[in-house]
Amino acid sequence: MANRTVIPFGPQHPVLPEPIHLDLVIEDEHVVEAIPSFGFIHRGLEKLVEKKDFTEFTFIAERICGICSYIHGMGYCQAVETVMGLEIPERAKWLRTMWSELSRIHSHMMWLGLLADAFGFENLFMACWRLREGILDVIEETSGGRVIFGAAKVGGCRRDVPDDLLARIPAQLNAVEDELRAITNVFRDDFSVRQRLCGVGLLSRNDAYDLGAVGPMLRASGVAQDSRLDGYAAYDKIAVEPIVEESGDCWGRTMVRIREIYQSFDILRHVLPNVPPGPVDMKITGAPKGEFFARLEQPRGEVIYYVKGNGTKFLDRFRVRTPTFANIPPLLKMLQGCQLADVPVIVLTIDPCISCAER
Amino acid sequence: MSAWTRILAAILFVLLSPILAGLLAGLDRIISARMQSRIGPPLLQPIYDLLKLFQKERIAVNRSGHFFLLGYLLFTILAGIEFFIGGDLLIVIFALALASVFFVLGAFAAGSPYSHIGAERELIQIMASEPMLIMCAMGFYVATGSFQVTTIHAQPTPLIATLPGIFLGMIYILTIKLRKSPFDLSTSHHAHQEIVKGITTEFAGPYLAIIELAHGYETILLLGFLYLFFAPWPLLALAALIAVYFLEILADNTHARLYWQWVLRTSWAFTAIVGAGNLILLHYLQRGGTP
Amino acid sequence: MKQKPLTMTRVALGSLLRKPATVPYPAARKPVYLATRGHIAIEEDKCNLCLICDRRCPTGAIAVDRTGKTWAIDRLRCIQCNHCVDVCPRKCLAMENDYTTPMQMKRSDVVPVPFTPPQPKPKPAAAPAPTSDSPLQAKEERPGERNHEPPDQSSAD
Repeated sequence: MANRTVIPFGPQHPVLPEPIHLDLVIEDEHVVEAIPSFGFIHRGLEKLVEKKDFTEFTFIAERICGICSYIHGMGYCQAVETVMGLEIPERAKWLRTMWSELSRIHSHMMWLGLLADAFGFENLFMACWRLREGILDVIEETSGGRVIFGAAKVGGCRRDVPDDLLARIPAQLNAVEDELRAITNVFRDDFSVRQRLCGVGLLSRNDAYDLGAVGPMLRASGVAQDSRLDGYAAYDKIAVEPIVEESGDCWGRTMVRIREIYQSFDILRHVLPNVPPGPVDMKITGAPKGEFFARLEQPRGEVIYYVKGNGTKFLDRFRVRTPTFANIPPLLKMLQGCQLADVPVIVLTIDPCISCAER
Repeated sequence: MSAWTRILAAILFVLLSPILAGLLAGLDRIISARMQSRIGPPLLQPIYDLLKLFQKERIAVNRSGHFFLLGYLLFTILAGIEFFIGGDLLIVIFALALASVFFVLGAFAAGSPYSHIGAERELIQIMASEPMLIMCAMGFYVATGSFQVTTIHAQPTPLIATLPGIFLGMIYILTIKLRKSPFDLSTSHHAHQEIVKGITTEFAGPYLAIIELAHGYETILLLGFLYLFFAPWPLLALAALIAVYFLEILADNTHARLYWQWVLRTSWAFTAIVGAGNLILLHYLQRGGTP
Repeated sequence: MKQKPLTMTRVALGSLLRKPATVPYPAARKPVYLATRGHIAIEEDKCNLCLICDRRCPTGAIAVDRTGKTWAIDRLRCIQCNHCVDVCPRKCLAMENDYTTPMQMKRSDVVPVPFTPPQPKPKPAAAPAPTSDSPLQAKEERPGERNHEPPDQSSAD
């Protein structure tokens, strides 16, 4: 009976918005094995660091990814600033915190929509993306861009946000949050959604730890790890409690992200009234010499930036370890033994950003 | 019914169904869009789509696949004609089943794994829906003593009074037949599905248009089945059909796609409970009524 | 936790009764904000063809021609990073908050610049005037800069 079929999944596939290719070995709609292949969109961004002025490289760092763009730019700047021994102004730190939380909310809301799309719930997908527009509007009003903020800069922020605008944002966020409750309740309570998520793609606590999962993947398996606890930007002045679920299945990962959205709303409500006055930018002189690893918490998990400067305007080496890259081994583990109908759901719960991973 | 009215009914069915189904699909799209807070396409968009598909290039993956598609279209139309000229309900159901089998064969004729999985899932959907259709014919027979659509249509009291369970079962399988969530397994009106477009993956242009056309005829025919439950009261029938179609759209917009095991299990369970339950009850009631 | 079957129905019916959230683009458009980065505009009267925007543009979208006295921008290459506006010494570049209309083919927007350089003071032994060959120099200065393809925005998400 056991008739094995190989189904090519990606790099272009309607439910997979990312260019990864999986060869799914199928036995009666059950996946026996998933063999990945990568490298469809390698763009050589890390190499570019040798040809770009280190301040101008921020633009490229921001374009490693479209969704977690801001934290990429900010992480790069943070690494360079540490190498150069710069202490950026306090207001810049708070604004960076604000923008990274905004980007976390919009990334998670987009992900919720994509997940709904993966299990064939078109209306829920549209609802998530409609509400995400409210967050994008805030981002556009504060930074000028909808997903590529263009607000990070070595030495601070490229633009200041007027105080009256900062005072106006909480009301806008509250409006989005109120509407979002109805949508996240669907993810939590709806019968058909739970049929598709509960118990699917189980990843035990030990597997998650051993295979090096990061971010919501790790936290959904019961490991309390969050790089924001390291206290970069203004996170040292904000109490961030890592959000942990014990179930380790797709539903747990969804719940972690949903609760993180509300946590980010809470953080923003704390950050916005407390942004201190002062400059957002400082003059930078000289060039970086030395090396540094910066660790930040992307919406998708922990990201690591390595920067090595040689005292000239052009850096020696820049390296990014993106969360998606770390989450691929657990993904392959989860795919073994699942149903074909669950493949898109499981692939999406790692929140894949292959463009990020391949740079 | 005289021979001439039969011929007229057949011609009207063949000519009007695509237009009617197109308008219905257009309304469906607009209401779905509004449920998703979108403006949605123009009302005539499905008809534009169909005309555009017929103008496209004919690309054949496998010619025999297209031959089977013609069988699908032909037998769906035959089933519809048999129904609307007041023929035998059993022939309608068998012609419809044969049409579905041709569709599945067409998908199997192509080599694509997506197409094959879609075809397998379509077979499961046929398995899930067919018992209820046969149960429906049996219900009509028990209630009216005939399989002839004309006799069933001429009943003085609406059949919904005696066959409410069968009606509910028919609504349930209509969701499968219309390919709405949570039952859009083999293919879907949404582009985003894990097996791409499943059973229709390998068909493009005019051949895809044939599928859409046959699907339109099938929709009208199934709504005709539902109409029979309210035959003496046409206005009520129309209201009921609109309500049922609205419920289908609502179900489509409020459910995730589920697994084929779940679909098979629930539709059989539902068929057994409401369909068979209704039949047994009716049988005892009739025996009690006429000793 | 209990499963509830009709949570989405309320949302769907609510949306059905409300006004759609989308707008029929291009007949109607979404409002833009003051800060929105739409497109780069130039006040050509102020420009002195100093070439700084040309050299500093991360994607090489701006091309300034000193001899032909034009300032040109390839809108498809421009990534709206605002860098040229930041570095312009004459403050003649600005980021407007509305988007340009989509174009049918790839082309640059060329703006003639009416700038006349002040006549160089007669210095007999001076090097050739910078007006004539500095664009070439600019290119030779950093060879890698202009040749590589700009990072592909569309696939980066």
